[in-house]
Amino acid sequence: MAVEAKLSHTAAMILQAISAGYVYGFSIMEMTGLPSGTVYPAMRRLERDELIRSQWERQAIADAEQRPPRKYYKLTNAGKTTLEASRKRYPLLERLISTEEARSV
Amino acid sequence: MKSPADLAFSTSQRAMLYAASFIVPASAREEWRREWLAELWHVRRSCIRVDETFSLEAQREIAWFCLGSFADALCLRRQPIQPGAPPAHVHGSAGQTLLWLAAGAGICCVLASLLPGVQAEKEASRNQIGSNVLLIGDAAASSSGASISTGLFRQWKTTRQRFFDDLAFYRVSRQRAEAGPNSMMWKVAHSTANLFSLLGLPVILADMDDANQKVPVVILSRKVWIRDFGGDPRVIGYAVNVDGARARIAGVAPAGSWQLPGAPDVWLLESDREMASEAMIDVNGYVFARLSKRGMTEWAGPAASIAARDRLDNGMDLYGVPITVPVEGPWNIYGFALFLAMLALPAVTSVSLGEGQLSSHRPTAKQRLWRILFLIAKFVLIALIGFYASIDIAYFSTPEYSPIAECVQLLACFAICLIGFRWAVADQRQRCPMCLRRVTNPATVGLASRTFLGWNGTELICMGGHALLHVPSLPTSWFGGQRWLYLDSSWEFLFADPIVR
Repeated sequence: MAVEAKLSHTAAMILQAISAGYVYGFSIMEMTGLPSGTVYPAMRRLERDELIRSQWERQAIADAEQRPPRKYYKLTNAGKTTLEASRKRYPLLERLISTEEARSV
Repeated sequence: MKSPADLAFSTSQRAMLYAASFIVPASAREEWRREWLAELWHVRRSCIRVDETFSLEAQREIAWFCLGSFADALCLRRQPIQPGAPPAHVHGSAGQTLLWLAAGAGICCVLASLLPGVQAEKEASRNQIGSNVLLIGDAAASSSGASISTGLFRQWKTTRQRFFDDLAFYRVSRQRAEAGPNSMMWKVAHSTANLFSLLGLPVILADMDDANQKVPVVILSRKVWIRDFGGDPRVIGYAVNVDGARARIAGVAPAGSWQLPGAPDVWLLESDREMASEAMIDVNGYVFARLSKRGMTEWAGPAASIAARDRLDNGMDLYGVPITVPVEGPWNIYGFALFLAMLALPAVTSVSLGEGQLSSHRPTAKQRLWRILFLIAKFVLIALIGFYASIDIAYFSTPEYSPIAECVQLLACFAICLIGFRWAVADQRQRCPMCLRRVTNPATVGLASRTFLGWNGTELICMGGHALLHVPSLPTSWFGGQRWLYLDSSWEFLFADPIVR
């Protein structure tokens, strides 16, 4: 379901964070400064609207690093389109969370 | 090594996540819990100090993180899987069916506990008049009404009896009674004080204070207690005026005592002196006699003729009949109706569950056991509904025990159990032997009027992708009943509901 609806600033921030490479819940929380009670429900709604999709990390990778596997999120094509529209609506979004910053983390 | 405080915090944080997970729909719970526990691990990792301990600030931060799980769980709970439709794995499932049946049984049970007539029937079956108590009447009397005069009873009472060890008496008259501002017309039975003890009915007389010791006492019938006093248990001790004379309510007769002749509304227990009033000497009433041991050995048959002497010492013929009316009680009637329904079931439906198979795959022993247990559970719940619903129907508008209500109960219980068992068997035939869900999407294949030797009938499919059910429209020698075709794993990709697999 491609949703052309206008996103809230919070949802747009989360989309931008995922697009920037913060691909799991806790890293999005740290990046955006939003509490868990806001980030995770927002991600559920984005996933329901097919703007993002989730995928479990392979067990072997997690085992090698001696930690539990994480659930990673990535943008769908509809999510990318919606994010583009949101960036026009919230021009400071890219400055708040830049792609370069994520790559350096 | 974790400190006890860290251990306590860690446990409470995990407990919070587990508690929140119960808000999440069951189908998504496991994955949700796994994600949050993984995230918690990473959050704790980011907050840990060099010495592998946590600061209080860090613990608070982690606790706030865990509290956020409740908001996430609520979000998932509010998010419907398919708006407007129940989840596919719940619709038509065995659990849902049992839940509906249990709810039906529960509602009928609660209703039965609220109906006064149901309590009256149970009480009546407990409080039956002993079989050694006889009603004595004059054989020469044209009707079976009151035929023994008060004077004759007094004479017998003072004479030594060979076959009876006690006698009781009452005469019935319609009298106006007043209880507070209310005025009623009652059929008052002026009776000897030993009436209820002779009948063996458990009427517990309330203790009266000294001032009321000499006031006659009144025993209300259950019907009057409910009709005129609203079944109020505080009515004991109330003063009433019966035909202008003061009396005190001392008890309520147990249900079933209405079987006494004359159908009195109340019993006014009078002393021997009051019963000996000359004005009433020729008034007829009912005499009850309790057989002595000798009388019991001599007694034979349902009724007997008794020879006696009247007040003028002339011989008279009497009859004696037991006044016991057998009250079956709800459980005996239910047992009989249930037995009849089980007996009649093969006459209204085939009891075969359609076990024919088209393929070599078979359900496992565990699946076959679950299937049998499911059928038994349905039968048990339907039998429970049959019991409670039938007494609800029988006593819905009858606050008293009545033989008519017992007949209604028998018929209703038989009908409910028979129809219910028939449905249970038919429902079982339409359930996938692997997952016990109802098969759906019926497709008609061929028409009996157009095909000669080709197969025609209906095909239904299990939405879990386990089996196809073939039901022939006309049973033939080569396809007599329904058959299951079990599907192998190559069909799985067609079915989107993995929960039922």
